[in-house]
Amino acid sequence: MQVFKLCIKVINKNKYLLLVYVVIFLVISFTLSLTAVREMETSTSFKPAKTEIALINEENTPLINGFRAELAKVATFVDIPDETEALQDALYFRQVSCIIRIPQGFTEKFMNGENVQLGKISIPNSIRNVYIDLCIDKYFNTARLYVQNMNGITQQELVQYLKKDLYDTTSVEMIAKGEKTSVTNLNYFFNLFAYPMLSIIILGMSTLMLIFNDKDLKMRNSCSPISSTNISMQFVLGNLTFTFVSWLIMVLSCLLLNFKSIFDFNTVFLVISSFVFAFCCSGISFLIGNLVKSKDAITAVNNVVTLGMCFISGVFVPQEAIGSSVLKIASFMPTYWYVKANNTIAKLTRFTLDTVKPVLYDFLIIIAFGLAFFSVSLAIRKKYRSYT
Amino acid sequence: MFIHIFTYRLKCLLRDYEGIFWTMLFPLILATLFNMGFSNLNSAEMFNPINIAVVNNESYRQNQSFKQTLEKVSTGDDRLFNLSVVSREEADEMLKDNHIDGYIIAEQPIKLVVSRSGIKQNIIKSFIDNYMHTFSAISNILEKDPGKLQSLINDIESKVKYSKEVSVTNAEPDNVLIYFYTLIAMACFYGGFLGMGEVSDVQANIKPVAARINTAPVHKLKTFFYSSAASIIIHLTEMLILLAYLVFALKIDFGTKTSYVLLTTFIGSIAGFSFGAFISAIVKKYEGFKVAVIVSVTMLCCFLAGMMYQDMKYIVATKVPILSYLNPVNLLTDAFYALYYYDTLTRFFTNIVILTGFIIVFCSGTYLIIRRQKYASL
Amino acid sequence: MVVKVKDLVKRYRDILALDHLSFSINEGEVFGLLGPNGSGKTTAINCILSLLKYDRGEIWIFGQPMRPDAYDIKRNIGIVMQNIAVYNELTAYQNIDYFCGLYVKDKNQRKKLVNEAIEFVGLGEFTKFYPRKLSGGLLRRLNIACGIAHKPKLIILDEPTVAVDPQSRNKILEGILELNKQGATIIYTSHYMDEVEQICSRILIIDKGREIATGTKDELKAMISLGEKITVESYSITEKQISAIKKLPGITSVDYKNNALIIKSGKGTNNLETVLDFIRKENIHFGRIYSEMPTLNDVFLEITGKELRD
Repeated sequence: MQVFKLCIKVINKNKYLLLVYVVIFLVISFTLSLTAVREMETSTSFKPAKTEIALINEENTPLINGFRAELAKVATFVDIPDETEALQDALYFRQVSCIIRIPQGFTEKFMNGENVQLGKISIPNSIRNVYIDLCIDKYFNTARLYVQNMNGITQQELVQYLKKDLYDTTSVEMIAKGEKTSVTNLNYFFNLFAYPMLSIIILGMSTLMLIFNDKDLKMRNSCSPISSTNISMQFVLGNLTFTFVSWLIMVLSCLLLNFKSIFDFNTVFLVISSFVFAFCCSGISFLIGNLVKSKDAITAVNNVVTLGMCFISGVFVPQEAIGSSVLKIASFMPTYWYVKANNTIAKLTRFTLDTVKPVLYDFLIIIAFGLAFFSVSLAIRKKYRSYT
Repeated sequence: MFIHIFTYRLKCLLRDYEGIFWTMLFPLILATLFNMGFSNLNSAEMFNPINIAVVNNESYRQNQSFKQTLEKVSTGDDRLFNLSVVSREEADEMLKDNHIDGYIIAEQPIKLVVSRSGIKQNIIKSFIDNYMHTFSAISNILEKDPGKLQSLINDIESKVKYSKEVSVTNAEPDNVLIYFYTLIAMACFYGGFLGMGEVSDVQANIKPVAARINTAPVHKLKTFFYSSAASIIIHLTEMLILLAYLVFALKIDFGTKTSYVLLTTFIGSIAGFSFGAFISAIVKKYEGFKVAVIVSVTMLCCFLAGMMYQDMKYIVATKVPILSYLNPVNLLTDAFYALYYYDTLTRFFTNIVILTGFIIVFCSGTYLIIRRQKYASL
Repeated sequence: MVVKVKDLVKRYRDILALDHLSFSINEGEVFGLLGPNGSGKTTAINCILSLLKYDRGEIWIFGQPMRPDAYDIKRNIGIVMQNIAVYNELTAYQNIDYFCGLYVKDKNQRKKLVNEAIEFVGLGEFTKFYPRKLSGGLLRRLNIACGIAHKPKLIILDEPTVAVDPQSRNKILEGILELNKQGATIIYTSHYMDEVEQICSRILIIDKGREIATGTKDELKAMISLGEKITVESYSITEKQISAIKKLPGITSVDYKNNALIIKSGKGTNNLETVLDFIRKENIHFGRIYSEMPTLNDVFLEITGKELRD
C-alpha cells in the first residue's frame, strides 16, 4: 500500500488548499442562498404579494392619499432620491419594480373628468409591472365611475366611497401542496455544492496525479515489483479516500449552516445525492489527472471544466432559467443529473418507491458517468504504461 | 531598435499559449457560458398570460357579466389569462399538477382556489377584486341615481389606462448585461499578466533574462516601453476580439455609443496592463506569487463589481459608495453600464476620469520602482 | 587595463559578501575568478556589470567608470550568466538574434554575427529548436552564443559549464580560448580547479569575499611550500620503514593511509629517485608509484586549510 500511503501524505500536505476552497464556498453560497430564500415565499395561508416600488408624489390631495393607501396593499415603498440616474439604477438592479410619478395638477384634472395619466418607469412586460398596473387602473377606473356619474362629487366623498368599495377582498382558499422553504433553501445549497466539490477534487487529485505521472517517477515505479494494475488501483483508492474526506467536510459544514432540517427525509436524500455526485467527481478528476501533463494546464482545464459544467447544467442559475437547447447539451454531463435529482428531491413530500424512483434513476446515471470516467482513465493508463 | 524589440516581443507573446489562454480564451469561454446560463434569466420575470380555470357550474353560467369580463381579459394578444372552463374535480387536478396557478369558483361571493401565494395568484385575486369593487361602486351610484345605468355600462366598457410608460432612456434595464460588462472588465484586468511579464522581464532580480537585458547597451526603460507596446497591442487585439464576440456572436447590447465603448475598452486594457505592471513592481516575490496577487485582487474587485452576484454592485454603490470609486473593475463595468443605460455622459466620464487617475498612479508607481538600475540583491 | 576593481565592498545585511576586493585585468588575459560556492564570485561579477548596488569601491571598464547607463562600455561586453537566460518562446536562432540585436543594429552584419555564433558553439542543427527541447549541454551552448554573438571585447563567463557533460565542457573551454585568441579579454569564474588551470592565464582565488591569492598558475604554486607529492601504493610498509623515509633529505611529511604512502617534499627538491632507491633497497612490494606536481587545489588547501570543492 505504499502508493496509497504516499497519496494520503501528499493530500495532507495540500490540506490548506482544500480548506480555502471550503471557506470561500461557504461564504459565497451562504450569501447567495440568503438572497435566494427571499424569492421563495411559501406558507400555508394566502398572503398578498408585495413588490417594491418608488412613488414620487408631487401632490398631496385626498384622492392621491387614498391611492397611496390602496397601493400600499400591493407594494412596499422604497425611498429613492428623485434623480434620473439613481432611479434608473434602482430599476436596473431590481430594487424597485417600477417608479410611479404623480404629476402636479393630476387630481384637479382627474376631478374635472379630463384624461390624465401617471408617469411610470418600469421593466417593460414584467409580471410585477402588470400587477401594479392592475392596482392603479382599479383605483382610478372605479373613481372615474363616480366622477362621471355623480355630478359635483367632492374629493372627500369620492375617497369615502372608494374606501368602502375597495375594502372587500376575494376570499382565497389555499390547498396545501407542502413545499418547504427550508428544503428549497437546502436544495439551492446542494446544487451550488457541485462547483466547489468539482474544483477541489480536480485540483487536489490532479496535483497528486501530476506528481506520480511525472515521467521519471512513473518509470521508477514501473521498475518496482508491483503490477501496474495494482498501482492504478491504489491510486483509485487514494482518489476515493480524498474525495470522501472532502465530501464529508463540505457536507458537514453545509448541514451545520442548515441544521434545522437535518432530520428531514429530503435532507437525507440530498446528502446521498451529493455523495453519489462526489464519486463521479472523483472519476472526472482521475481522468483529467491522467490526461493533462502540466500544472498550469491543470488550472486552465479545471476552470473550464468546472465552470462550464456548472454554468450550463443549472448549478448557478436554476435549470428553468436555462434554454432547452443548452439543457440538452447539459444532459451529457453528470452535473445536470445531479441538479435534476436535487430539484426532484426537494419537491418530494411523500417517500414511497414510486415517488423516489426518478431520483434513483438519476443516481444510477451519475454513477454510470463516474464508472465511465474511471474506466476510460484506467484504459489510458494502460495504453501509456510504456514509452516508445 | 524599436522594431527589433517590438517584433521579437510579439513573437514571444504569441507563442505564450498559457498567457493567450488566460487573457483571451478564458474570457471568451466564460462569456459563452454566461450566455448559455443566463439566456432565460430575463424571461423569468417577464409576464406571460396566467393559466387559470373557472369552475363550470350553474352560477358561473348565469353570471353573465362576470363571464364576459373574464372572457374579455382572456382573449387577445395582451390577455391576462389563459382560461379553461372545467369541472371542479378537473380544476383540482390541474392545480395539483401545476397546469394552472389557480381556479375561480364563481359563486356569490366569488372564490379563488390556489396552492401557493405568489405574484401570479395575487394577480388573479386582484382581477376578481377589481370586478367586485366595480360592482360595489355601480350599486352605490345606482342607489343615488338609478338613471345612470346606461352611462355606467358605457363607462365600464371604456376602461382607461391610468399609467403611461415615461421611459427616460431607450435602453431596457436588461438585467444580465452587468455580468458581461464585468466580464470585459475582468478580461481587461487579466491583461495585468502581460504587464507583470513586462516588468519581470526587465527586473534583473526576478529573471535571468532580465539580468541579460540589463547588461545590454539599451536603456532599460526603452526596452520596457518597446516591449510593453507589443503587450498592449496584443491585449488590445484580444479585447477587441472579445468585444466583437460579445456584440456579434452573443448579441450583447452595448447601446449606441460605439466609439465610447471602444474608448472604454482601450482604457480598460491600459488600466489592466498598468495594474499588473504595478503589482509586479511592488510585489518583490517570485512570479507565482505575483500571479496569485493579481488573480485574487482582480477576483475580489470583480465580486464587488457584481460578476458573481450582480446586486453586489448596487449594494456597494448605495452602502459604501467610496468603494465603488476605488474599485477599478467596478469603474470599468460602470462605464459600460452608463454608456448603455444613461442618456447623459456625466457618469461615464466620471468613471473614465477616475480610471485614468488609476492608470497614472499605476504607471508612475511602476516607473519609480523599475527605473532603478541597480539592485540590492539578485 | 580592461577592468579595474578597487576596494569593492558589498554587504547583504549582516553578511559581508565582498570584503575590500581589488583586482585588475589586462587586455588579452583569460582571467580566472576561482572560489568555492558562496565565495562572492557571482556577486563580484554582478557588481562589475552594475547590476548590483555595492557599498564601497570603484569599478572601471575600458578605463571608464562603470555605470548602469554606460552604454558605450556595455556595448563591448558579452555576458554569459550562471543561469540560463533565454526566452522559452523563441527558437535558438531567434534568441541569439534578439540579444545580438540589442548590440548591433545593422541587419546584414547581425545575420553574419548570429551565424558565426551558431557555428562557433556548434548549434547548427538546432537553430529552429525551442529551448525546452534542447538538452542541458546544448542549452548552455545557446546561453553562451546569446552572450558572445556581438563579438565583444570583454567576455564575462559566470560558471558556464555547470552541469555540462565532459564533451560539451571541452568544446566550451576550447571555444573560450578561441575567443581569447581572436582578441577578447575573458573573465571566467568557476569552482572547477582543472578548468581554471586549463585555460586561465591569470587567476584570482577568493573566499568569503576576500582575495586569497592572485597570480599565474606557476606563481600561485610557487607561493606554497609543497614541491612534489609522491604516492606509493603498497600494503606492506612497516612503521620502521616509514620513519626511515621521513629521515630522507628534503622530505617534509610522510603519511600512510589506506595502503597508500604519501610522501611530500619541499620546494626545489626532487625525491622520486631517492624514494625509489629506498623501496628497492628495503624490497618493498608496491603496486604503483607516481609523482605529482602541486595543483591549485593544493594551493587553496594550504592557504585556507580546507578543501576547495563544490
